Amino acid sequence: MAEVTAKRDILTAASPHAETPDIWADFRQIEVLTLELRQRYEHSLGKYSRFFIELENGRFLGTRCARCQRVYAPPRPLCPACLAVTTWQELAGTGTLITYAVQHFGSGANDDVNRLATPYVLAYVLLDGASTLFPHILRAAPENVRIGMRVRVAYSSGPVQHPLHLMYFVAQG
Amino acid sequence: MSGLPVVVGVGLTAFAANRVDCTVRDLALEAALACMHDAGLMDLKAVQHGLTSYESDHFNRQMTLGALLHDHLGLTPLPNVRVEGGGATGALALRTAWAYVQSGLCDSILVYGAELNGRSVSTQTANQLFALSADFDWEMMVGGTYTAFYAAMMRAHMQRYGTTEAQCAHVAVRNRKNAQHNPLAQKPMDLTIEEVLNSRAVAEPYKLLDCSLLSDGAAALLLATEDWARAHSPVFARRPVVYFAATGCGSDTMRLGDRYPDITNFRGKRAAAQQAYAQLGISDPLAQIDVAELYDSYSGVEIQAVEDLGFVAAGEGGAAVASGLFDLGGRLPVNPSGGLLGRGAPVGATGIAQAIEIVQQLWGTVHPARQAANARRGLTDTHAGIGTLCVVNIFERRD
Ligand SMILES: [Zn+2]
Repeated sequence: MAEVTAKRDILTAASPHAETPDIWADFRQIEVLTLELRQRYEHSLGKYSRFFIELENGRFLGTRCARCQRVYAPPRPLCPACLAVTTWQELAGTGTLITYAVQHFGSGANDDVNRLATPYVLAYVLLDGASTLFPHILRAAPENVRIGMRVRVAYSSGPVQHPLHLMYFVAQG
Repeated sequence: MSGLPVVVGVGLTAFAANRVDCTVRDLALEAALACMHDAGLMDLKAVQHGLTSYESDHFNRQMTLGALLHDHLGLTPLPNVRVEGGGATGALALRTAWAYVQSGLCDSILVYGAELNGRSVSTQTANQLFALSADFDWEMMVGGTYTAFYAAMMRAHMQRYGTTEAQCAHVAVRNRKNAQHNPLAQKPMDLTIEEVLNSRAVAEPYKLLDCSLLSDGAAALLLATEDWARAHSPVFARRPVVYFAATGCGSDTMRLGDRYPDITNFRGKRAAAQQAYAQLGISDPLAQIDVAELYDSYSGVEIQAVEDLGFVAAGEGGAAVASGLFDLGGRLPVNPSGGLLGRGAPVGATGIAQAIEIVQQLWGTVHPARQAANARRGLTDTHAGIGTLCVVNIFERRD
């Protein structure tokens, strides 16, 4: 007997179309393999890098467009409204919860997310001084979360896998 | 308007969680073959162009699927183009074909879409792969998923307008019930509102039965000038002429948070609908559209869509849906096929399958239990992301 290590199954598939006759009758023996595809990326954070580097110092940065005064958090190096290059602007890290989801399954995005207990709260926060909403985990019991509640950025000293997890939101007060 | 393309033939495979009997190329071939037979053609030799519609290299584990499928359909050395527009891929493919025929670049074009979104990978892997189509560095890395983005959007809608989970559940019940009359549907079910409300929480306010399906499947549609159709399709003169009458496309920011304060609805969908309506002089879509296939990726998304498409005013979608306005037998039947919730959603095929349901509704050839009365104009609504790219296509029967 020849050995095929990736082979998972050989089966006979029924026609899903209930056709008579089955025009594919000669092709109903099916072999199924288990295959893997793994990649590793050197992923530059590019012009957004300073945001992540400053999180290590417990500082929260957005970017400001000098032309229209919008403040972007998450940062944008280029203001899409003006196509003007922005500058870094520190924010206090306090803000208001605008909307949220209570997620009952881990997304598997990275080790940091895998460490979160489910359910977790994905919060959209309007940071004081910002024009856009910043999405991140709000560490709070779902039953205590209310739209309009005041929250703030809290910082982690790590170790984390991804630098975005050097911060998260908590309720103020 | 005589230059508008007509639909010459349509073909669909059964949608299923696991079409273990097929590779992605087998699926595309099944749909294209069905389309060819539907058009009364013995082969595809007279067809002048191919168009491949698929979203994901990752799910299908194959890049340049356009070249592969075109080859296996025997369409070489004809020109081919691959179209990708996230969840809106199939609808964008048809919109592209519309422009190709209208411009005179070709007189006939076979649009075929296929995807393996079912069980070839685990649900968690599927979520990760779909998350790659979100903003990878900012939304995916914090643990966001599309279900959560949609849930946050729906929660904002509920907060602003008082929309309820029971109103969302009405969509989940109705669309799966409609699927019971569709033999090619993946998940026909006879549910109660309570069963939807009591199903397992996934990303609150959405529960398991509020969520659409991951599917394997394919769809194909042959689009042509009316002259080409009369010259080549022996069945064309025997059924009502259905024109691909109008198309609109709109967009919005990738991240929900960047849309603040407009985070309850789909701005891009409003733009797409207005373009398509302007092409046909539609001013009262609820009265002037007879049947529609809407992008119900989650139950509440249909509520948001009926508002953005102008069927009802902003904030009135929940009550309108719950009143039965969009049920079979209602004023404007929505998702008679079962929609993404009941029929399924193999991404590259979804928008084409929506169009096929509308075309068959206009031809009057669907199962009588899901046939909309006096259907002469039908609409499809398809979007990518959380309404990041939106396509509205309108088909008309003229006889
Ligand atoms: Zn600006």
